[in-house]
Amino acid sequence: MTYDFKALMDFFPYFLPAAWLTIVVSFFGIVLGVVLGLLTAFARISSKPVFNLPARFYIFVIRGTPLLLQILFLYYSLRGIFNFEAMTSAIVALGVHNGAYIAEIFRGAIQSIAVGQMEAARSLGMTYRKAILRIVLPQAFKRAIPSLGNQFIIALKDSSLASAITIKELLLKAQQLGASNFKMMEMLTIAAFFYLFYTSIFTWLFHKIEVKLSASGNA
Amino acid sequence: MITIKELEKWFDQLHVLKGIDLTVNPSEVVVIIGASGSGKSTLLRCINFLEEFQKGEIVIEGKVINQQDEKMINEMRSRVGMVFQHFNLFPHMSVLQNVIEGPIQVKGMAQEEAVKMGRCYLDEVGLLDKEDAYPSMLSGGQKQRVAIARALAMEPLAILFDEPTSALDPELVGEVLSVMKNLARDGMTMVIVTHEMGFAREVADRVVYMDEGLIVEQGTPQQVFDSPQKERTQSFLSRVR
Ligand SMILES: Nc1ncnc2c1ncn2[C@@H]1O[C@H](COP(=O)(O)OP(=O)(O)O)[C@@H](O)[C@H]1O
Ligand SMILES: [Mg+2]
Repeated sequence: MTYDFKALMDFFPYFLPAAWLTIVVSFFGIVLGVVLGLLTAFARISSKPVFNLPARFYIFVIRGTPLLLQILFLYYSLRGIFNFEAMTSAIVALGVHNGAYIAEIFRGAIQSIAVGQMEAARSLGMTYRKAILRIVLPQAFKRAIPSLGNQFIIALKDSSLASAITIKELLLKAQQLGASNFKMMEMLTIAAFFYLFYTSIFTWLFHKIEVKLSASGNA
Repeated sequence: MITIKELEKWFDQLHVLKGIDLTVNPSEVVVIIGASGSGKSTLLRCINFLEEFQKGEIVIEGKVINQQDEKMINEMRSRVGMVFQHFNLFPHMSVLQNVIEGPIQVKGMAQEEAVKMGRCYLDEVGLLDKEDAYPSMLSGGQKQRVAIARALAMEPLAILFDEPTSALDPELVGEVLSVMKNLARDGMTMVIVTHEMGFAREVADRVVYMDEGLIVEQGTPQQVFDSPQKERTQSFLSRVR
């Protein structure tokens, strides 16, 4: 079996729609994950059981089961209940999955901010809400950035699991093309190229943000 | 102006304040001294409602402050400043932003006015040239002076200081104490916990000696330092001298 370098060029354009789908699934999955993660982090920190128990349970379930199972589970249940299409299910599944991990990242970052910061804010007469928004969260976000960047890269790669529910993203596209043209290695190489391209952009972007933030004031 | 009546505080089983009565009058400088663990910080934190107490009451400007009333507490906090041992400056904000954050966010002051006022107070603590610096770029003494300016910017009735120089290198203590002396001279009401006995003697109108959650003795610096009446005060003073 020979490796057909020319096929890399020839089939490259066929991947563009799939490459776009990967971006869409990942992007909305990450956005949903950040929103869920932030809400869950606060619920988890709360001393009230009505908030922290559901948050704990959510994190427990998501972290203790495989993402592929979650995607399939949500696909079949959402399709049955809401008539969701596969695309929506994939985004919801990725968002819900990442929400649990991002919640733990935010929680760690928020709890790492010294209690003295909250006290200083409160002693000025700020409300709890304001102290969180103006004093704790900006510092926590900054501290969470390296871990968030890492999680976003994982989410991007995990979007490949959406292939299991018929989303024609990069991985499924490669498999389908490879099965018909018998150039599986080459097709997987093209998909790999896109993933590497995306993750490199993420890495570069987060590095930029870190540098910029550490330039303006302290860590 | 601030009256503390029969204040008692427990941390679980630990009885930390065992009935504190203390009145702070306008423009008075009250210095609290006492061994570590005697409850000095806890007392200040109770006055700022950063700790909940179980018995007694705190009256500020004739109003009994209800510990459960968030709004009342916030209103009270905005009028009683607090300066911490470890500064607790906001690291993500510049020096000027640190100072104007309270006036803008709590009092709703306009940005422009707050900046003008903030610069005024930075000038007062001798740090006008540092307004754009971030806390991480400052020395400990400078940080504490910014913290004082931050408290002043709220135009408080009184400022509470919890060992403001204990975290500083010895050569930086002087600049902070000198700012505080100026405040005392200008008539600011202050409650200061400190181990700087020379400073206490110089600026205090009244010295309060605390031991094991109780006020053992209080009086003018001359009374407390030169002729302490209680045996416990005498032995504490002989240890710190
Ligand atoms: N958050 C807390 N939880 C439990 N015990 C505390 C807490 N803060 C202070 N204490 C205890 O209360 C006592 C008084 O402490 P503190 O007010 O800090 O004393 P001081 O400021 O005079 O050194 C000490 O025995 C200390 O261990
Ligand atoms: Mg103390």
